[in-house]
Amino acid sequence: MNTLVARYSQPAAHTHAYNADEDSQQLIQDAAPQLSLNFALPPIASTAQWLRAMTDDHSNPNVPIKIAHGTTTLAFRFKGGIIVATDSRATAGNWIASQTVKKVIEINSALLGTMAGGAADCQYWLAYLGMQCRLHELRHKRRISVAAASKILANLVYSYKGMGLSMGTMCAGVTPTEGPALYYIDSDGTRLAGNLFCVGSGQTFAYGVLDAEYKYDMEEDEALELGRRSILAATHRDAYSGGFVNLYHVKEEGWVKHGFNDVNPQFWRYKLEKGEFSNVNAKLDETSGKV
Amino acid sequence: MASGYDRALSVFSPDGHVFQVEYALEAVKRGTCAVAVKGSKIVVLGCEKRSAMKLQDTRITPSKISMVDTHVCLAFAGLNADARILVDKARLEAQSHRLTVEDPVTIEYITKYVAGVQQRYTQSGGVRPFGISTLIVGFDPGSEEARLYQTEPSGIYSAWKANAIGRSSKTVREFLERNHTPSLDRPATIELTIKSLLEVVQTGAKNIEIAIMAPGKEVEYLQSEDIEKIVEKINSEKDAEASTRRGGARGGNAAAGGSAASAQGAEQVLASRPAGEGAAE
Amino acid sequence: MRGASILKANDDKTRSLNKHTLMAFVGEAGDTVQFADYAQANIQLYSMRNNSELSPYEVSSFIRSELAKSLRSKNPYTVNLLLGGYDAIKQKPELFWIDYLASSAPVPYAAHGYAQYYCLSILDKHHHPDISFEQGMKLLRMCTDELKRRLPIDFKGVLVKVVNKDGVTLQEYPEGEQMYAP
Repeated sequence: MNTLVARYSQPAAHTHAYNADEDSQQLIQDAAPQLSLNFALPPIASTAQWLRAMTDDHSNPNVPIKIAHGTTTLAFRFKGGIIVATDSRATAGNWIASQTVKKVIEINSALLGTMAGGAADCQYWLAYLGMQCRLHELRHKRRISVAAASKILANLVYSYKGMGLSMGTMCAGVTPTEGPALYYIDSDGTRLAGNLFCVGSGQTFAYGVLDAEYKYDMEEDEALELGRRSILAATHRDAYSGGFVNLYHVKEEGWVKHGFNDVNPQFWRYKLEKGEFSNVNAKLDETSGKV
Repeated sequence: MASGYDRALSVFSPDGHVFQVEYALEAVKRGTCAVAVKGSKIVVLGCEKRSAMKLQDTRITPSKISMVDTHVCLAFAGLNADARILVDKARLEAQSHRLTVEDPVTIEYITKYVAGVQQRYTQSGGVRPFGISTLIVGFDPGSEEARLYQTEPSGIYSAWKANAIGRSSKTVREFLERNHTPSLDRPATIELTIKSLLEVVQTGAKNIEIAIMAPGKEVEYLQSEDIEKIVEKINSEKDAEASTRRGGARGGNAAAGGSAASAQGAEQVLASRPAGEGAAE
Repeated sequence: MRGASILKANDDKTRSLNKHTLMAFVGEAGDTVQFADYAQANIQLYSMRNNSELSPYEVSSFIRSELAKSLRSKNPYTVNLLLGGYDAIKQKPELFWIDYLASSAPVPYAAHGYAQYYCLSILDKHHHPDISFEQGMKLLRMCTDELKRRLPIDFKGVLVKVVNKDGVTLQEYPEGEQMYAP
């Protein structure tokens, strides 16, 4: 891998100090836990370019490999913890590959990650993050902070920058020292702490609903409702989002799951009971859906 | 003498010793003494300073107490030059930890790291163990409870309420065992540190160095005049105590045995020596 | 920003490197924070090791050389920087304009990105070496007002920090009213 990244994954100053002392240099390397893994790479001049050529369905709709992309995920902080919600649709090009994807990844009993972008990338690296978090727990005798966990992931994806990783993920957790903490990490290497994030092709629709009614001092049921409604809004307008609303609430004791519910009955409930979605003229009995 | 088992570092003797590590402990015993005492919301490091030669510039001669990070302080006994390397590694790790985890190191973490480095140098060829023991003190980020750890050349680390390393550390530790109580306040902690150091430092204030740490504050080095004042106070208290004892305990304690008497004797010699007037080491 | 949304409006794009130097950064996502944190950790390590602080000029040299090394590596940091500091020995403030090509220039005022095109002319006209702090703040207000007025993209305000002999402080900077091109 490139030298800069290699220099980065080791504490930088090692390379400058004590070069004469090769033994101690060796000792240092023996002990430092390797944070980034070494993969065998295919025999191609530029892996990144090749991957882009093979997978970028934006510039060429007929690419041989279609990576699962479209998504809506959201997470926000409020006084009672953090709400995490996602849709469940996976698309490859215009094809709906699955309607029952679990886009909330349970890193451990207290940490959640969300999945947008390449499904494989997210699943693999969040599982890897789970492993690092457990190791941290064993080594330090206490739960890892959300800041540290998110930084492990951010440093990791940064070390693969430009090589074709595609992920937009959020790490949510509540710890005694930090309180509720929420981080956004993407494959560019961006890592941001914040109160509220929406990620994926349906983000704009989710932001629309969420921003309008978001308050930090919401009650728990209010917050769950807002998360659910925001995902529903996105599944309604974004062709690449749909399926089920996957809803979680993260508290200090750990996360609680609040269902994995089909969007269709929910849509009709909002339409019929609250008179929302008034642009839809279809009647309930004209559709196959049942409430 | 040790029939070759002390030559290669990574070779055990038949009865399970790694001699090089034990020799490293000897180097520690010959080093100047360092003491650390925990109080409530305070921890004090005290060091014996080698008496300087006439032309030495004491102001800029490196100290035995060094900062690993803004909240971690380290004192050592043993080979100065080895310590420099070890401290530098610890400093690098402290910064590296801040960079990757976005939190300052805990005292236990950095102790474990230092001990880990020391251990590695007992298990591979072509290297020599660090000839130092360290006392690592400080406060974990956001905590008000003082931490005090010791590391040894073998890589062992342990937590203490008060401890001493280096020359005559046994005497000092025994003194601390007799006099340490858990919730000492600031002046009492400083005084106990200096008192315990005076057990071995016969030259008084000018050969003592004191660093004080409190939660969320920067380290504070005690000025030599302040140390001097405390030494004088201790000495005058001892003098007073000795004179009352001479008056009251004559004959009555005669049966108490030779050991107590000799310990007292040493104390009295110390007490009667004026502060700051040194015999050579 | 990824996709079409602002993810965070009040992100602090500055790092204090030591007591008297502050670095502001813009550039490629990921690179910016990674480089800034790396520089910060190394400058602090230097302070820790040598029990002394580097002057702003010395810091700028370190940063420049790191960028120069990075530029000649396989994937360089794409980061542009402004480094401001107070030299406690010379007792005067210093400012360095540094770009990802590892140019470094001491300047009296500076800007990166599109802001340069709007602000530098204002600063050229109104800046003098001996202006007071209040005059400096007024000058900054002239710049941000112009950005509000003319920048095609909605300007989301600024974070203002001040470096002087006492160190780095966050400066309150009321947003002010909406500006329209006359």
